[in-house]
Amino acid sequence: MSIDSRVDPILLGILWDRLIAVADDILLSIVRTAFSVGVREAWDLACVLFDDKGRSIAQATLSMPAFIGTAPYTMQHMLQRFPAASLSPGDVLATNDPWLGTGHTPDICIARPVFHGGRLVGFVMTISHLPDIGGAGLSIANREIFEEGLILPVCKLVRAGVANEELYELLRSNVRVPDQVFGDLMANIGGTELGARLIGEFMAEFALRDLTALADGIINQSADAMRARLRDIPDGIYRNALDVEAVDGSVRLEASVTVKGDAVAIDFTGSGPAVRNAINVPLCYTRSFATYAIKCLTTPEVPNNLGTLLPVTVSAPAACILNAQRPAPTGGRHVIGWFIVPLIMGALAEAMPDRVQADCGMASLFIVHGTHPDGRPVSTQYFLAGGLGAMRAHDGHHTTPSPTNNAVVSSEVWENETGMTVLRRRLLPDSGGAGQWRGGLGQEAALRNDSGHPVTVALFGMRTEFAARGLFGGRDGTKRSFAIDGRPIASKGRHILNPGETLTVLEAGGGGYGAARSRDPAAVRDDVAAGFVSPAAALADYGVAIEG
Amino acid sequence: MALRVGVDIGGTFTDFALVDEATGALAIHKQLTTPDDPAQAVVEGLPALLRKASAAAGDVGTLVHGTTLVTNALIERRGARTGMMVTAGFADVLDIARERRYDMYDLRIAYPTPLIPRDLRVEIDERIGADGIARIGLDLGDVRRAAATLVDRRGCTAIAVCFLNAHANAAHEEQAAATIRAAHPGVAVSTSADVFPFMREYERWTTTVMNAFAQPMFDQYLLRLEQGLAGIGFRGTLYVMTSSGGTVTIDTARRYPIRMLESGPAAGVLLSAALGRLTGRNSLLAFDMGGTTAKGALIRGGVPLKRYDMEVARIHEFKPGSGLPAKIPVIDLIEIGAGGGSIAQRDTRGVIAVGPRSAGAVPGPVCYGRGGTEPTLTDANLALGYLDPRYFLGGEMPLDRAGAMAALDRVIGAPLGVDATQAAWGVHETINENVARAFRNHAAERGFDYRACTMVAFGGSGPLHALRVARKLRVGSVVFPRAAGVMSAVGLLASPLAFEVLRSERVAHQDLTAEGFDDRFARLADQATAHLRAAGLDPRDLIIRRAVDLRYRGQGYEIEVVLPEGSGAAVVPRLPALFAEAYAAVFARSFPAEPIEIMNWKLEAVGPTPGRGADYLASATASRPAIKGRRPAWFPEAGGFVDCAVYDRYALIAHDAFVGPAIVEEQESTAIIGVGDRVTVDERGHLVVKVAEPKP
Repeated sequence: MSIDSRVDPILLGILWDRLIAVADDILLSIVRTAFSVGVREAWDLACVLFDDKGRSIAQATLSMPAFIGTAPYTMQHMLQRFPAASLSPGDVLATNDPWLGTGHTPDICIARPVFHGGRLVGFVMTISHLPDIGGAGLSIANREIFEEGLILPVCKLVRAGVANEELYELLRSNVRVPDQVFGDLMANIGGTELGARLIGEFMAEFALRDLTALADGIINQSADAMRARLRDIPDGIYRNALDVEAVDGSVRLEASVTVKGDAVAIDFTGSGPAVRNAINVPLCYTRSFATYAIKCLTTPEVPNNLGTLLPVTVSAPAACILNAQRPAPTGGRHVIGWFIVPLIMGALAEAMPDRVQADCGMASLFIVHGTHPDGRPVSTQYFLAGGLGAMRAHDGHHTTPSPTNNAVVSSEVWENETGMTVLRRRLLPDSGGAGQWRGGLGQEAALRNDSGHPVTVALFGMRTEFAARGLFGGRDGTKRSFAIDGRPIASKGRHILNPGETLTVLEAGGGGYGAARSRDPAAVRDDVAAGFVSPAAALADYGVAIEG
Repeated sequence: MALRVGVDIGGTFTDFALVDEATGALAIHKQLTTPDDPAQAVVEGLPALLRKASAAAGDVGTLVHGTTLVTNALIERRGARTGMMVTAGFADVLDIARERRYDMYDLRIAYPTPLIPRDLRVEIDERIGADGIARIGLDLGDVRRAAATLVDRRGCTAIAVCFLNAHANAAHEEQAAATIRAAHPGVAVSTSADVFPFMREYERWTTTVMNAFAQPMFDQYLLRLEQGLAGIGFRGTLYVMTSSGGTVTIDTARRYPIRMLESGPAAGVLLSAALGRLTGRNSLLAFDMGGTTAKGALIRGGVPLKRYDMEVARIHEFKPGSGLPAKIPVIDLIEIGAGGGSIAQRDTRGVIAVGPRSAGAVPGPVCYGRGGTEPTLTDANLALGYLDPRYFLGGEMPLDRAGAMAALDRVIGAPLGVDATQAAWGVHETINENVARAFRNHAAERGFDYRACTMVAFGGSGPLHALRVARKLRVGSVVFPRAAGVMSAVGLLASPLAFEVLRSERVAHQDLTAEGFDDRFARLADQATAHLRAAGLDPRDLIIRRAVDLRYRGQGYEIEVVLPEGSGAAVVPRLPALFAEAYAAVFARSFPAEPIEIMNWKLEAVGPTPGRGADYLASATASRPAIKGRRPAWFPEAGGFVDCAVYDRYALIAHDAFVGPAIVEEQESTAIIGVGDRVTVDERGHLVVKVAEPKP
């Protein structure tokens, strides 16, 4: 590369950060206008910017981690279907195909080519979780992808500024809440339009004719930063396996992580086959969480782009649950896919003991349908988080989701919107895995159906059979469980909560790190004073006797 | 009694401003802050200020006071031992918190520890439903026993009463508070429905806990201040500035210390707004930059934008979500980790990064020669010729330019293959971009078009960067106000008495009657105006501003709609159209068919603008020549270092005019005037700069 094609080194950071700011603006515009609970509470969306070749160069800071890994591949699929020469200003491309997009049908991927000075210079892509996509609705009970709603292959939703009305009508005719779905679709299209304008202004301000040199700088320096950290990991093949609960029985996940110089190859050979229920994971989603785990372990501070994907390769045998093939149902792919992160952390524990995290309690997300006492229909989601896993010199935080991210549902808001009563929200003492550093605590939530109408609850519970494991002698966290009026219920699938009945959820604790007997006794006494650890556990697990 | 005094206690200096309302004459004074007892600097500085104005303490009618005391107490956890009474089943809400990671990639994520330890939280068996109806009654015996435990056995001197759904019905909280006060008259009691009746228990209760925690300390402080001022002959009325830009009586301040979190910056923004109104500029960007932090605010229609949440005691100062949320009305400030002390480095990516880490005052920038080795923004500004090594803080501190250049070269220049001057330019420009980006994001989120705005720039470092930032934002004019060094103190004098109340109550528009609308606002008006009537204001002189937060049913975000005057019969039918208009202003579209609902009801009562507003005349002395020298400064668009005129700010008088490149120096700050920028001095001594159009 000649010196002339380089971006001025003192400007590179400024230009780079401006692109991230553009992506941030687009993302926020969508969050604020979307109707989907998944978008506004769980930030189940992303914005990624690409150069003219479809190389990702910037991502909105608060994008869903899962989507940074899928978006670059989605972009390539789109370019295969519509090569650059076939694109015009004002075109908008879309797909929600699980194998081309993010792994399940509710996520719509929208891309707009950006033209500047009459030339194609890049793309803006936004991805968001739609309120509905038709079919049987999002449930792991689905047995075929065709139950999971409408699938849009890569298509032009808008051609040169003219909306493809037939496609819009097709979409509207296939979903339960067409105005809301359409509103969210428009939020994405509007976001990409905003992005195209902002990129144009950015290029004019800095007199850039194209984004190529800037993209080279961003991608190369990001990849270099990650490679420098990868070189610190001793070469070797690191393996791990875990059992994850499926709907009927469990599924084995296996990973081998091969570190060689400044590259890492992750392979999932040995993982179990795809299953009948909708918890299968297309490779795009597998790859995404695998690269996310490596990123957290190496360069968490470097903004995401293609450069942070280049040093990592991911493979899985066809038809294993982490490389599920059509027409396997995938709606609840996170039920299995989230475990890729602890699978890789565990594999690399010996190689990077200062950086890995013990297993996390993860989170519950359930879908609730019912009727408010005022007669209006209720259709919403409820989130609860378990505890984070501990790390060296760091106790896991309580009730914090991982690897996904969501926001607390305020009990007051919940009662107001559903007519149900939250009887309690309590930390669960002794739920965090004991260790030199303690796992984060899970919690208990009890919800009584005072709405006067039956309520349907669709559960996707995990860690009900296999606890969050500790590391280096740290103990496991406690498991998750669900009960109605004290009767244990299946952790996955639909249940009816009749008027007056109470659903109780116990959230899982995070795993501990290091031997509990090595914990500073003062920290144990603080935990007992705070109620995080019981006096009995202080004695039994930590060997610390508590007076009085 | 025509004299009014503003006193702003900052981290380093306590600033004073005195105005004679009869003549408009302004006098200012700076005194070192006394952190152990901030009242001391006020009591010591006031006589010095009065001497400058040849006045006596007895002549001062009002003293308006701004302080960051409450924020500091929360950050340093210097507050009362505070207990909590909370609805049974919910004592852990303070620990469970928001269940959200504020950083997706940082595995070692940490959060602030709750202010009240778990063993000082007592659950009370009571329950108000979401509809405001009591489901489980309150047993006052339980309250008495809990209070006895917390006060007598655990030594609490403050108690926060936090019951679920208290925003819908405050009866249980009020009964509990009355019971505690009767049994323990010396204990400070805060209830969540009184502090801020906003729906969402974690945020409301955290706010209430902070209020209780700060109350005894703030009460003692105000008492010392009152006694100290009385001791030097002050007989006037003392007011305190709130974070929302209004002032309150000290009785109100004692009840709601949480509302005094950030009064200094609010005052600076308020003065910007007042200056703008005075000169017919009603859309403004206020930009303040000091040693460690830059702050910005947007002013629309002459009124600073507000919001209803802020964060205190963040783990990472500039990461939202890493602190304790306070639900109070505040001026909507942008905070950026950018100031003179911001440290420049190459980050993991290999690009220039500046801040938010700061060298602070010790060791400070390399050029201070106090042992600093990491280059800072001030070092870069010195290397570029923007600062005069012999006239920093008016010449009080000589600066080491060679040392600054060497550090810039070592840390940035050599690794990037550029010389020290280019490295310095990269550092300077990175900060300009960071500030511009923060304004841009902030404005975009609020649907605020800043391109037709005027920027008002102040603070020690603001005028160094303002014109570059303005260019990036395509803002056409910038004002550098006079007395920029004590903006906040002067701003206190321009602030009216004001109090805002809010209540969360979700009401579908289709269910809202005109009478229901009128009833709700009548109750809010009673509450808000009570605080102003107590200050002696005539209710007929009050301006009432009403607003509601509206949303489409099913959408997660509310939009504030400022309501026109008129009764419910006139206003309620107009709500859908008003909402559609406000929604479209932010999002460029609306959904007329979707049903709407009200979430929050807000009312602010505002007194008349005191005195002359911002119309003060600083004493100008044009006895010296306006140009005090020349020096080379870096202007890349003019080819590099350009020999510039250096103007003496104190010698500039009304109608003076000149064109950049130029430098304007005053004691506390230096303004850099870009190539082609046109400066004029207005009637009141403010510099007004027309930004040169960028070359096509």
